[in-house]
Amino acid sequence: MIPISGVSNLQQTTSYKIVLPFYVYAAVFYLISTALLLLNADVVQQHYFHPHTLAIVHAMALGWGTMMIFGASYQLLPVLIEGKLDSNLLGYLSFGFASIGIPILIVGFYLFHTGWVLQTGAILVNIGVVLYLVNVLSSIYESEKHDIHAWFIGAATIWLFSTTFFGLLLVFNFSESLFPDNSVAYLTLHAHLGIIGWFLLLIMGVGSRLIPMFLISKYTNNKILWIIFILINSSLISFIVLFLLNTDSTFYYIPLFLAILGIVLFVNFIRNAHKVRIRKNVDEQMKMSIISVIQMLLPLLTLLIILFILPSNQHIKIASLYGFCIFFGWITAIIFGMTFKTLPFIVWNKVYHKKAHAGKTPVPKELFNEQVFHLMFISYLIGFVIFIVGILILNTIALRVGAAMLLISALLYVYNIGIVLLHQPKKI
Amino acid sequence: MNDDIHVVTNDLEKCDIALEGLYEVDDPEVGLNIVDLGLIYKIEFEEEKKRVFCEMTLTTQFCPMGDSITSNAIQALTDAFPGWEVDLNLTFEPAWDFSKISQGGREFLGR
Repeated sequence: MIPISGVSNLQQTTSYKIVLPFYVYAAVFYLISTALLLLNADVVQQHYFHPHTLAIVHAMALGWGTMMIFGASYQLLPVLIEGKLDSNLLGYLSFGFASIGIPILIVGFYLFHTGWVLQTGAILVNIGVVLYLVNVLSSIYESEKHDIHAWFIGAATIWLFSTTFFGLLLVFNFSESLFPDNSVAYLTLHAHLGIIGWFLLLIMGVGSRLIPMFLISKYTNNKILWIIFILINSSLISFIVLFLLNTDSTFYYIPLFLAILGIVLFVNFIRNAHKVRIRKNVDEQMKMSIISVIQMLLPLLTLLIILFILPSNQHIKIASLYGFCIFFGWITAIIFGMTFKTLPFIVWNKVYHKKAHAGKTPVPKELFNEQVFHLMFISYLIGFVIFIVGILILNTIALRVGAAMLLISALLYVYNIGIVLLHQPKKI
Repeated sequence: MNDDIHVVTNDLEKCDIALEGLYEVDDPEVGLNIVDLGLIYKIEFEEEKKRVFCEMTLTTQFCPMGDSITSNAIQALTDAFPGWEVDLNLTFEPAWDFSKISQGGREFLGR
């Protein structure tokens, strides 16, 4: 009789077939976004309600940030909620609808076709988001434990749906007059639902588990994470209330203060995890992720400048800086860092799992080119800083140079993703 | 077995053979073998049933490489004891911590 060997108590993982299309799609959209930024670099000098700005922002927010987070969260959901992904089919379908809807939406914005083009794109994106929402919430419901990380991802996903559904209504408001005012008047509300509710909450929830895990740090502090969760949600809810009540701008210090407090506590959480890490040498992917955590403070400083120093007629110009620091700042940096922590593992598992112990296999970090990653890291940081200078001094050359450096970072990113995805097993 | 590697066993000689195989299994993220990392808690042998029972842990319960590490560990033990059944149990009680890493492992991690 052949002995049967086995393992018990193993965490279940999501199939790479669901996850990898999101990574590829997001990489292509980062490339498209940086190319659009280079072609329209001077658009930041105009009002943010400009067709090309709207196209770039949605390419970054949906095509890059959201699609990458969808893919990564499908992979990491078992880690975050201590359960398994409820439905693979919903995972595939969410990709199908969102991947078709996003380019249609972006073309609609770029050409400013406010009729059926934008409406079709927005409907498809919303279907994709609803499928994601159902899958995440049912996975959380089915899981045995509901700790703070599950709350972060669950709440973030609900805020995401609030963002995209409100966006859908704003799209229809162009032609149907659903709201008392023009859609432009609601853009700040739509943007903050997405930025604070979706991106910030989700990245904090995922980061607070993954960053200590990859640093091999045993630091954990659920009490602080609960406080952060409450602060960020309170910040967003108070912002919504103040917006709907149409209060004086002085009151906006309340949500701003709550968000700053939440972010400072999160930065301190990561600092503590870094301090007691077991692995002394921190790799570049983790350095980039840690930089992204510090970058979270930049948009808030920008907001303080807006509220404290600048006269109200200057707010629109500095709004570009605020948006840029968010989408090309901490969202992009943490995706850069985490891509090359997670993707090599997914591909390594796919390629080498069945070849377990058949000989020496490369380690996951050998699946991508570290030199290319380093160049991407440098070009990104230089591009990010130069573009900010360009916004501050309103200089088109600086804006173009900054955008060109970001495009180079995108090309290097796509190249490295390609190397990982096309990795073939070494003959062993 | 090195002095700073603590594995519960009922057969020291066979345990050394098992560990020899398990030294070849790395945690791909850390780059250190699972024995020096202190992930192996117990290796016991049932001579009559030709069965190896291994109890081990992971650096974190949510380790995305858990499947690969345990598959490698089973394969290493199967190679070390051909014809034996290998039963591997993952446990998180007690949870792994820094104190479980061997001196050699600490030096490898720059500590």
